[in-house]
This record gives sequence, structure tokens and C-alpha cells, in this order.
Amino acid sequence: MKALGRGPALAAGALLLAAVLAAAFSVGGVHLSLFDLVRGDGEAGQTARMLAALRLPRVLLAALVGACLALAGAALQALLKNPLADPFLLGTSGGAAVGAAGAALLGASPLASPAFAFAGATAASLGVAALARRGGRLDLERLLLAGLIANAFFSALLLAAFSLASGEASRTMLFWMMGSLSDATPGKVAALSPYVLAGLVVLLGAAARLNLFAVGEESAAALGVDTERTKRVVFLAASLLTGAAVAFAGVIGFVGLLVPHGVRAVAGNDQRALLPLSALAGAALLVAADAVSRAALAPAELPIGAITAALGAPLFAWLLLRTP
Amino acid sequence: MTAALIEARSLSARYGPSPALDGLDASIPAGDVVAVLGENGSGKSTLLKVLARVLAPSGGEILFDGRPLSDFPRRATARRIAYVPQSVDLVFPIRCLDLVLQGRAPYGNGFVAESPEDRDRAREAMRACDVEALADRDAKALSGGERRRVFLARALAQEAEVWLLDEPTAGLDPRHRLEFLETLWRVHRERRTTVLVVTHEIGLAVALASSVLLLKAGRAIARGARADVLTAENLGRAFGTPFERRGTGFGVRSEVLPAGSSEL
Repeated sequence: MKALGRGPALAAGALLLAAVLAAAFSVGGVHLSLFDLVRGDGEAGQTARMLAALRLPRVLLAALVGACLALAGAALQALLKNPLADPFLLGTSGGAAVGAAGAALLGASPLASPAFAFAGATAASLGVAALARRGGRLDLERLLLAGLIANAFFSALLLAAFSLASGEASRTMLFWMMGSLSDATPGKVAALSPYVLAGLVVLLGAAARLNLFAVGEESAAALGVDTERTKRVVFLAASLLTGAAVAFAGVIGFVGLLVPHGVRAVAGNDQRALLPLSALAGAALLVAADAVSRAALAPAELPIGAITAALGAPLFAWLLLRTP
Repeated sequence: MTAALIEARSLSARYGPSPALDGLDASIPAGDVVAVLGENGSGKSTLLKVLARVLAPSGGEILFDGRPLSDFPRRATARRIAYVPQSVDLVFPIRCLDLVLQGRAPYGNGFVAESPEDRDRAREAMRACDVEALADRDAKALSGGERRRVFLARALAQEAEVWLLDEPTAGLDPRHRLEFLETLWRVHRERRTTVLVVTHEIGLAVALASSVLLLKAGRAIARGARADVLTAENLGRAFGTPFERRGTGFGVRSEVLPAGSSEL
């Protein structure tokens, strides 16, 4: 079940991400030669540097957003012992989008939007968990239904906000709904980085406890884990990561569902490996998906969410068929 | 009579508004095998959950080794009390060896248990429960009987002096049931553990237990040595249906006890 040790697996994941980053960096409406960029003499070098300055923030933002969503999905799947858990399907992303869009409508500074998105994501998580709770435990079917309800409700709020807003504001609303990496700036990359780091550190600290949740919450409690505390910490970390990703890139679905499954199939279900590998693989996936969205119909762009959904929906269907 | 290892004093617990334990008194001597017997909903499983600190009591207190159980840090409790839940629904793949190693988690630094010593203990426990050959198999793919023995091995690796087993033989066919009980009996005798077995099978209590705790509606209506508790009158009260003595066992009229269930 486990082909590689944790160290080699992480090194392989990092190499994969580096390769995808380099490839995505050169792909786009205009080809960017890494050779010209490094050699850097003459007109070719100058053009390369200009392109790089435009493209680098976008590629890095895609990597960070992908890492956030995949980490949040992996942690929620382990905590809820549920392969269908994902910040998008559970309504966390929708809550974050409503929070961020609300802030934009109220005229709050863009730098404050992660805080609003985090508040929205946390409220959505708590609401969905409360709806899904039955007899003291989170029920799998109810959880997915509660996510569906939450998503319907948040879509309604976003659509209402979209119709009320005008001009620039309505474009912003569309951004939250569809998800996009096109507004990437170095400032956004810098602002998102600490969230990814904080989420990763907190979740890695909880990884060994999350392993004990694989047999169930009661079993973990009987082995000495303070399960209430672990649940709070992991839910908050997942909401923080989701909120940060949505604040800077809108709602991009299925990354949190897709990535942990792929990683689990290759590297097993030990959260100490699964969580960091999911971060690396999530970054690679979203960078690749973004490169496809830029290059496929250039100069027009495909919405990034369309690509992740095209990959994720079949996987979701397959999981649904397999789940008893 | 030995001093009680576990003592429950007017213990109460509830799920939401409905009480599951309602002023239960019990005293468990060290080294005993105690059958916790009662009809569905009498609070048997809830009692185990409260003892395992999976569920917090809503009233009363538990003394463990003379001290309030809640005074022990959670992990210290887990080193002394092992809980084997009734049925476990595994969703993700997990190797049997890793599952048994979970029993070492209360000893590890930050719940990580993978030292050579931890592995030795886990292997040893798997050998004792006849599941060593399953070490690299996915626990999801095991039969019911194999899975119970793997979970028993996890409790063994935990090196706890108290085992709390919730319906350990439910759903097992007669052969696997007997194999499981033989394993349980053997490791109990080797390690001198105190065992609480929740069951609604009177035959199991007769076969296994030295003493019986008879529950009804969240209270103990009788407790003590097996022969004293398992009277037709007590069982009739606990299960709300007439019982009669027949040979060495008890049966509801028209029910037939499986042959050999009184001698293990």
C-alpha cells in the first residue's frame, strides 16, 4: 500500500511541482522561453523578462490557491472519515465567497477580504456541521445534503448581490462566483503565503491525531485524543485555508476532492505524508489547470473552475457509485 | 474480597435530552470478567463509553483506582483502559499492523508510535490474537471475525489493565464466535486484565463472566457473582419476559441455548 517512504515521496512531489511550474511558466498566449529569460541579452531577453513579470505572480498564485484547497480537502476528509468531504461540496467555499463579496459590496479594502472570507467559511462550516449532526454524530448523507443546501443558499445570495451591483462591482461578483486567477499580483501572492504556511503548520501538528480518526472519533477519544479540540483546530484551519484561497481566486471547485484521492492512491492514508503531499499536488494541479485555461483557446481564457469541475465531476460520480 | 478497581457512584449520562444512564452504581474488582447485561437501550454501551471517556458523564462520579477518573489526563487513562467499539466502519485503507500500532499511540510522543519497541509490542499482540499473518493486509478487507481479533490485538498492544468490549461477538457465526472467545479468555488469563463485556446474550455471560452487572433503564438492578445475579427473577425483571432455569443455562421459553455455550 505504501510504495515510497515519506521523505522520498515528498521529494518526488516537490520535483513534480517544480516541473509543472516551469512548464506552466512558459505556456500561454505567447510562448516564454526559459532559455531567453536566463540568458537575458538583447530584445528576446527583454521580452522574456516582461512576460515573466506578468506571468510569475499568476503561476505562483495558482500554486498557493491549489495548495490551500487540497490541504483543506485532505484534512476534512480525514477528520470526517469521509472521502466526499471537500470545501466546495460542503459549502465552505460558498460561505467564503459570500463573506468576501459582502466585504467588496460594503466597500471594504481588498486586503481585508481574507478576513471576511474566513468568517464566511467558518460560519458555513459550523452551519453545515450543525445541520448534519444527528444523535451527537455527523452523518455522512446528511453532511452532503447540508452542503447542497448551503451551496444553494450561498448561490442565491451571490446572484442577488450580482443583480444589485453595477459596473465594476458586478464584475467582482462574477469573479467570486466563477473563480479566476487573472487578477494575480505580487501583492496577492505575498498576502496569501502566510495563510498557506499557517494552515500547513497547524494541520501537520494535528496529523498524528487525524490518523487516529481513521477508525472513528470515539476510537480516537478512547486512545487519549481530545477530539473536540482536534475538531475545532482542524475545522478552523480548513476554513482559514479555504477563506484565503477564495478571497484571492474566487470559488474553484473540486480541487480539495480530487487531489487527496490521487495522493492517497499512490502514498497511502498516513496524514503525516498525505497532508504535505496534497499541498504539493494541489499546487501542481491548479498550476497545470491554469496553464490549460490560458493556452487552450488563446487569446481567450477558459474559466479555471470549468477545468477543475470537468476533472472533478467524473471522480465525484465514481466515488458516489463506490460508496455503499 | 478485593478492593474495587472501578467504582461508579450514581452515574448519569445522556445523549441530547434523553437519559441513557440514570444513577447507576457499580463496583468492578480488579481481574474480574464482568458481563454487562441488559435489554436494548438499557445503557450498557453508554456505560462503556463513559468509562472509556468517549462520553462525559452528566452526573455522579467514577473512581478509578481510588481516584476520580476525570483527574487522570486523557492519555494516562488510555494507557490503562482500552475500549473496543462495537462495530467500526473503515472508509480509507489501513494496514492491520498500523491499526494495531494505534494501540501504542497513548505512549508515543504526540501520538506518534513507530519505535522498534512499539512494533515489537504490536507484533506480539497480533501473535497472541492469531492475526500476525494479516499484518500487511488492508483491515477493510477482513472478515468480521478477523477484524474483531485485530481490534482485540490493538487493545492488547495498548497494554491496558482494563478492557471494555462492546458486543464483541455480535454478528459472528458460531465458529468465529468460539474462536474469538477462546482468544479473549486466553489473553485475559495471561495478562490478568479486568474485562467488561457488554452483551445482551445471556449465554455469553454464562460462558465467560465471573460476575454480572444487570442493567435496566440506566440503572443496575442487580450486581455481583454470576450465580447470584442470573436468577430467573432478575432476568425476568431486566428483560421484561419470563425466564426459566433449564440445565445450566437460562432460556426464554421456546428459546434454545446453543449447545456447549455454558462451557468454554
